[in-house]
Amino acid sequence: MDTFLAALFSGTSRGAIYALVALGLVIVWRGAGVVNFAQMGQAMFSTYIASTLISNGYSYWLGFVVAIIVGAVMGSLLDILVLRPLSNKKKTEFLSSESIRAAIPVIASLGILGALQALAGIIWAAEERGFPAPYPQEGFTIANSVMPFTSFDVFVIGIVLTTLLMTSLFFQKTGVGLAMRATALNQEVAKLSGIRTNFTRTLSWAFSGAASSLAGLLITPTSNLSPNTLDLVLIIGFTAAVVGGLDSPVGAVIGGFLVGMVISFVSFYGSPEDVFLSILAVLLLVLIIRPRGILGAKDARRV
Amino acid sequence: MLEVKNLVTSFGSVIALDGVSFTAAESKITTVIGANGAGKSTLLRTISGLETPSSGSISWLGKSLLGMRPENIVRTGIAHVPEGHSVISELSVEENIAMGSLFRRRKFKGDVLAAQTEMFELFPRLKERRNQLAGTLSGGERQMLAISRALVSRPKLLLLDEPSLGLAPLVVEQIIDTINILCRTTGLTVLLVEQNANTALGVADHGVLLALGKVVADRPASELKADATLRAAYLGY
Repeated sequence: MDTFLAALFSGTSRGAIYALVALGLVIVWRGAGVVNFAQMGQAMFSTYIASTLISNGYSYWLGFVVAIIVGAVMGSLLDILVLRPLSNKKKTEFLSSESIRAAIPVIASLGILGALQALAGIIWAAEERGFPAPYPQEGFTIANSVMPFTSFDVFVIGIVLTTLLMTSLFFQKTGVGLAMRATALNQEVAKLSGIRTNFTRTLSWAFSGAASSLAGLLITPTSNLSPNTLDLVLIIGFTAAVVGGLDSPVGAVIGGFLVGMVISFVSFYGSPEDVFLSILAVLLLVLIIRPRGILGAKDARRV
Repeated sequence: MLEVKNLVTSFGSVIALDGVSFTAAESKITTVIGANGAGKSTLLRTISGLETPSSGSISWLGKSLLGMRPENIVRTGIAHVPEGHSVISELSVEENIAMGSLFRRRKFKGDVLAAQTEMFELFPRLKERRNQLAGTLSGGERQMLAISRALVSRPKLLLLDEPSLGLAPLVVEQIIDTINILCRTTGLTVLLVEQNANTALGVADHGVLLALGKVVADRPASELKADATLRAAYLGY
């Protein structure tokens, strides 16, 4: 029973972070039609900036806020400086195949990931360093046994749920949110309605950058920080997004929690080495049983 | 007044518009008719900025529209309802309508709400279905929604692409009547593209007949309607 509760708690807190990563991926996918592999590279970079601020004596919260802002700015700049020029129809006209044209931004995002990791290695050295948590990471004691559930976990779940709630309100209730949804669903109609689609697309990159930076800040206290630490988080987050149905934000959140639970239960009941295998098993299972994901749209993507 | 001169638009080696010139007079309905592939849709898409012409000029109220993005052309008072009841299926009826006036909501807050209410008066069926997803509507309702989405931007010129496509005759009549009344009562300028020449010429003041990207006739609608030779040669009936 104790192991069960422990796995449940840890799965919730891990799942919350994967939900955030998956949401970031889904928002950019919907807004720009790109799976942004650089996402956790951006998160790693902004977490390093927070780490530098904190180790220079500034408060944790300053580092926290700066990292999220840096994440949003980096996301916007990536869109404006790299992705927008690359998706320009005129400039890529010489490429005859539509699928090659669709692959360009994805390859670019992989390139950016590599560049960010190399740059982080040059600036901050490639060895692992710790990253602080704002609240204690000692487990609560229930009936004389120490649970693997800490004040920090409560903070993680709280802040992620607040973020998800606010995001949902933003998309459902505000004009800018409506404009972003319209752009993601049908660019042509959005443009004809007077929506500045370049701007709304950049906003979705900014949002995704901020969300993944938050994920980076929340996961590094338990995993340490190095230029490559967040690679696995990206893979898990991507799995969560696909499980949820790549184009559904709600699906991404469900997928995140689901994958978090699977990982947690496997590592509590099985061995930590099986974790990676279990993620792939979940991915494979979903792709076989329900290829469009839990909440994915019915039609295949129109290109 | 909308003035199009020697407009050429091509897709790779295919020339869709081959030197098109015509004018659409203010507060009148001008219809562009022609067979499938004559370049009618491309003409509207070039005017609204979705396609870039390789040469020629488009001027609207004395200003050139060339090089402007679609989202800025809307701001000059031109609203385009593209072919195929183009609404966003995953958004609700209300959201689809709201979408069309997002860009006006800061400057004309009160009017935006008034415009949305007017759409529900114009098409009461949309009001009943305001919270439904647009994808659940019938073809006719979707066309009404697409037109409402365009009208809430308070356009001076409405570009309508094949509003009759795939709709029952009764619904077509209702939609065409509404457009006609709007033009006559509010002074809206309409550029109506139709394959259904009879319906279009019945309501329009002026007609432009397009064939293979070229203007073959540009006359008052009644004259065009009466010309059996042209009809037989270009419209096939």
